[in-house]
Amino acid sequence: MKPVLVPTTDVNSETGLLLAWHVGDRSEVQAGETIAEIETSKAIIEVPAPEGGFLLYAAREGAEVRLTEPVARLFADVGALEAYAEEEHRRRAEAAASGPRATAPARRRAEELGVDLASIGGDSLITVGMVEAAAAAATTATIELPDPLPGVAALPRIALIGAGLGATQVIDILQAAESGTAVAIVDDDASRWAGEVMGVPVVGGFERLVTLFGKGAFDAAIIAISTSVPARARLRAALGANGIPLANAIDPTARIAADVTFGTGNVVCALCHFGVGTVVGDNNFLSAFNSYDHHNRLGSDISTGPACTTSGLVVLGDRVRLGTGIYMEPHVELGDDVQVASGSVIVASVPAGHAVKRRTVTTVVVPRR
Amino acid sequence: MIAARAMGDALRAALEEDCRVILLGEDLVDPYGGAFKVTRGLSTDFPGRVRSTPVSEGAIVGLSAGLALSGYRPIAEIMFGDFLTLCFDQIVNHIAKYEAMYNGKVTCPVIVRTPSGGGRGYGPTHSQSLEKHFLGVPHLRVVAGSLVHDPAAILRALLAQDSPVLLIEHKLLYPLHLMLPAGGRIEGDIAEVHISADGLPTVSIRPVPREDCWFTVLAYGYQAELARRVLSRLAVEEEIFGELVVPSQISPLDWEPIDASVSVTRSLLVIEEGVEGFTWGSEAAARISSCFFGELRRPVATAASAPTVIPTSKMLEAGMLMTSERVEQAIRQAAA
Repeated sequence: MKPVLVPTTDVNSETGLLLAWHVGDRSEVQAGETIAEIETSKAIIEVPAPEGGFLLYAAREGAEVRLTEPVARLFADVGALEAYAEEEHRRRAEAAASGPRATAPARRRAEELGVDLASIGGDSLITVGMVEAAAAAATTATIELPDPLPGVAALPRIALIGAGLGATQVIDILQAAESGTAVAIVDDDASRWAGEVMGVPVVGGFERLVTLFGKGAFDAAIIAISTSVPARARLRAALGANGIPLANAIDPTARIAADVTFGTGNVVCALCHFGVGTVVGDNNFLSAFNSYDHHNRLGSDISTGPACTTSGLVVLGDRVRLGTGIYMEPHVELGDDVQVASGSVIVASVPAGHAVKRRTVTTVVVPRR
Repeated sequence: MIAARAMGDALRAALEEDCRVILLGEDLVDPYGGAFKVTRGLSTDFPGRVRSTPVSEGAIVGLSAGLALSGYRPIAEIMFGDFLTLCFDQIVNHIAKYEAMYNGKVTCPVIVRTPSGGGRGYGPTHSQSLEKHFLGVPHLRVVAGSLVHDPAAILRALLAQDSPVLLIEHKLLYPLHLMLPAGGRIEGDIAEVHISADGLPTVSIRPVPREDCWFTVLAYGYQAELARRVLSRLAVEEEIFGELVVPSQISPLDWEPIDASVSVTRSLLVIEEGVEGFTWGSEAAARISSCFFGELRRPVATAASAPTVIPTSKMLEAGMLMTSERVEQAIRQAAA
């Protein structure tokens, strides 16, 4: 097969108009014979056959053709031409049947989740979000969602948000502290629905939480997602909008000094220390061995790793994210949305929206001699 | 239909619909039909009303001014936008001033059309985008052709009003197909058309609903087409969603559709092919920063060609002009 290109050096045109074919489709042509006329923005160009053979049109008369692409193809014999034409026809049919417009990430996600893109209606571009929503809807339709546990008399019934490992920590703290009993978990990942975490059923997504609260199935919620500060902040706002109160989960091994005040929705893991006069906001997830010395002020929606230690009079803004093993000098103030890398020693205040980086100390692993 | 032919058809319609329309310019007459063949066939069909002129841009535009003052509707073609410097005096000191200077007793509705822009290796004096020197001239409209706008509709709107117009046509658009909005779509993307009080359209193109776009790109002409292709690809391949706003009149700007987009995306990138510094983008940045102070998520970004002479070597030219690669780079930065 030999492609027939338009012989032009015209730099002004990317396309031309196919004015006329001088020979029939699938006819035999001689080398050098004029087979077509193409009009560009500059001129009318005659297209000669580059060699003899059987000609297959690649464009119809009156069509705009790209000058970099063949207008026809030449074959040594009719058999080769027919085979090519048949293959081309099959390819076209396949392309036409390839279905709706979707982004590449959406196609990959649809394959992972087993979603048929054609089932997502409308003529809009299909996105990952739409595929996931369709998968969730399909799951909802087929899964029988479990009911929350009845709870234990005299203990507040707690619903957890997030069925990941954070939920295991919160359930363990509630059991140890006997300050509440987890009766249900919700998670927007539908693949977790109808499962359970430490005996607590995953009863559906956020919408189910709202429904269950309306039915009086639980008393307060705790956000059990430890690492994502944006998710914690967003979910706290969503709970507020639906009038659902938050509860604290404070491990009994935590040492809480005099005159310490807590907001709501805080998760405090084992062996934490809160010095005299410290004020803690709402919805913070504080990992084990955190020590906030006297008269600290903590904002809301904070998430920390284990072993973060502050001196007196330290201030943490809202949505602060601390790594593991961090020390802070007295009077240090971290603004809202500050992120601090593991192992940092903070000696000066950090303005809002900034990150504290630290040169990584790599542990070198060598084989034993 | 390719843009050059669509513009030719628009001129043909203007000649047919309005006997006051006269076309003037260098080498317009058949068989040559103009340097970019936009006027091909028109001198044959409208003898006497489509005229080739001597090689003097000052004369072409000065003659147009006289015709316009006498009640005609001259449409002058300047063969390359670079030669606009030769009619700067006629446009700025005379044509744009008459109506205000004589308190509305006369009008001077001249339309000056010109091909602009680089990318063809035409060198330092046949590749520039000099329109920025005409932006903000009082009483002068600067309009730019883009593939998403119908040249016939724009020409009709311009002929229906009396202000003088500089109409910029990027030469790389001439051989490309128009991509007009149809049924609220352009190639599957959502396309919204906003028509200004003067009948001039702005087209906003987005792959997904505006609420799901996180930045706005403002561009016109060939840069709008480059941005459209990049945005379309980034949407499909990487789910990077931005809205492209393409005004037809670039000075004065109709801010309404731009504000509508930025108020939702809260981020703006302005792209133009002219050289950077004291630009269309600077004006948009100043205006949007002032109106949306405190609401924007990041400073308004601008992208323009490097401030130097355009080389003839295509390789060196691509090193300083706003190419597809540089447009993509700017968009990725705005989307980050």
